[in-house]
Amino acid sequence: MDDDAPRMDIGLVGLGEHGETHAEFLEELDHTVHAVDLDPRAKERFRERYDATMYEGLDELFAAGIDAAIISTPNKFHETAALKAFDAGLDVLIEKPLAHDLASAERIVERAEETDSICMCGYFHRFRNRCRLAKAYVESGRLGEVTHVDARYMRRRGVPGLGTWYTSREIAGGGALIDVGSFVVDLVLDFYDWPELEAVIATTRSDFGDREDYAYLEMWGEDDEAKMYDVEDSVTAFCEFEGGRTAHLEVAWAANARRRHEYNIRGTEAGVSLDITTPLESVDPSGRNHRDFRLYEARSDVVDHYVDSELVPPANDPFRDELATFLAAVETGQSPDRCTAEEALAVQRVLDRIYEAADRGRV
Amino acid sequence: MPAASVTDMSDGDTGRGGDRIASVGTAFRILEAVRERDSVGVTELAEALELPKSTVHHYLATLADDGYLAAEDGRYRLGLGLFTLGATARTGERIFHVAKPNVDRLADATGEQARLVVERDGRGITLYQATGDEVDDPPTHAGDVEELHCSAAGKAFLAELPADRLDAFLADRALEARTPNTITDPDELRDALSTVRDRGVAFDDEERDEGVRCVASAVSDRSGELLGAISVSAPLDRMPDERFRSEIPSRLHNVVGVVEFNTTYSEWSDAL
Repeated sequence: MDDDAPRMDIGLVGLGEHGETHAEFLEELDHTVHAVDLDPRAKERFRERYDATMYEGLDELFAAGIDAAIISTPNKFHETAALKAFDAGLDVLIEKPLAHDLASAERIVERAEETDSICMCGYFHRFRNRCRLAKAYVESGRLGEVTHVDARYMRRRGVPGLGTWYTSREIAGGGALIDVGSFVVDLVLDFYDWPELEAVIATTRSDFGDREDYAYLEMWGEDDEAKMYDVEDSVTAFCEFEGGRTAHLEVAWAANARRRHEYNIRGTEAGVSLDITTPLESVDPSGRNHRDFRLYEARSDVVDHYVDSELVPPANDPFRDELATFLAAVETGQSPDRCTAEEALAVQRVLDRIYEAADRGRV
Repeated sequence: MPAASVTDMSDGDTGRGGDRIASVGTAFRILEAVRERDSVGVTELAEALELPKSTVHHYLATLADDGYLAAEDGRYRLGLGLFTLGATARTGERIFHVAKPNVDRLADATGEQARLVVERDGRGITLYQATGDEVDDPPTHAGDVEELHCSAAGKAFLAELPADRLDAFLADRALEARTPNTITDPDELRDALSTVRDRGVAFDDEERDEGVRCVASAVSDRSGELLGAISVSAPLDRMPDERFRSEIPSRLHNVVGVVEFNTTYSEWSDAL
């Protein structure tokens, strides 16, 4: 981070877990935090923890002379906040997914374009050095032509705050797929350089949510009083993109399987295995938990043989780098080079297609 | 906050005993009495209310003139002027707007009768109801009033009351038996309410009307304020145990959670 970067006034909309993480980094970087939420409990907790100016409503916040807004409300409410921010002439970082459904995501992108605002979406794994390096290997042609990606984001017992809005179709727009699966779709689309999705077969399951004997071994977020659960907790999808390139996606909040977040990128010349499994409770800047990052090749010197090379990039904090990128974009007025609203909309289209395919399969 | 002090001032004067206007009270007693009877003549009403016939006649004529009663062949029914007032009163309830689409969906998904009930003065009022395909002739209607101790919505409310208010409620009235299943013993009701609190859902197992089962869950906002309850009811044959104890409660949890979030974020929701 450039120490000479200007100090900015940033408006936080939505003061849950993600809002707090943003606030922490913003305070570390000496930016001024302005904050709003309609949930009195979230507001109170935030007020106790951070030195921020609190507002009663969006209009008041957006009229307060801030430089940009970060929206981390429940998914369904992204749109209202984003549209008002764009109309107030503000650049916006929206937590992923862009919206709870495709139509809402489209309206967000449309208004961002109309108002010529920068709109970025928080698929922070794209800022992880390992992911950037994997993408660079794909782009360099070192892997030949990439024909298949095998992607898995599996938790064993990690339904987010079982009973919070994450488990409500109406508020979140879906379950494991739109939550953690959206990261997977984002990375796979990026490895393939944003291709059209031609065909998809998918199944969604809800095997754990309504079980009284659910073992809360891992949790993300608070366990709220509400007991909503009408979403999927795991998804399997097979996607075929233009040019016959394919991806197999396994996503689960809860499954009786090893916890992992990994990508096997298979090219005609070489393959990369990228493991970015992290502990649930953090975005893990250290990379300590990352098991495997390897290049798989075959050569013919003297005898035909395999070459397995370990790739060892320095660890970084992707969440912080994402925020720094957004702030730099606000400062320069130049749209960021990744995690744009257009890319997030492409992710949302694929999520929508996967849900549609799963519904069709159920008939 | 400045808003709170304004509220305090306007609500501060609760001792209205001295400046009650008796005739306003009488007018509303008469309206209530007409409501209970669908259609009523002057003599019958005067006897029921123990008021002089001429007095009752003046009231009825005045209320009919102003459109709050409808007169027909010497008999009186409630007039649509009251509907205008009632509908406007409902429109002013925020919970009505937030809950309505979800109550509609609940009725649609279950095929049964779904209701939004709010509590006023120790009674439950059906603010809105929707019926699914299975329901031909709904047993209740918007505006209906019910006792709290025998209905699912009522028990959902009572379970949310702080101990001192529950004590006051129970000290204030006898728990009247509407069916053989109605809980009439205060201690038994307390036990039942503690189960309601644990499960977040209340049951009426033929406690209000024989042959009808109902499940309800209370709706609160994020500051903990009780806003209402949402219920689903059905005749016994369409509400077997599994549906009564598991399927409908789980649907209610989803709907109530959504309504609570939508209430909290109603300013940020384009649905409103």
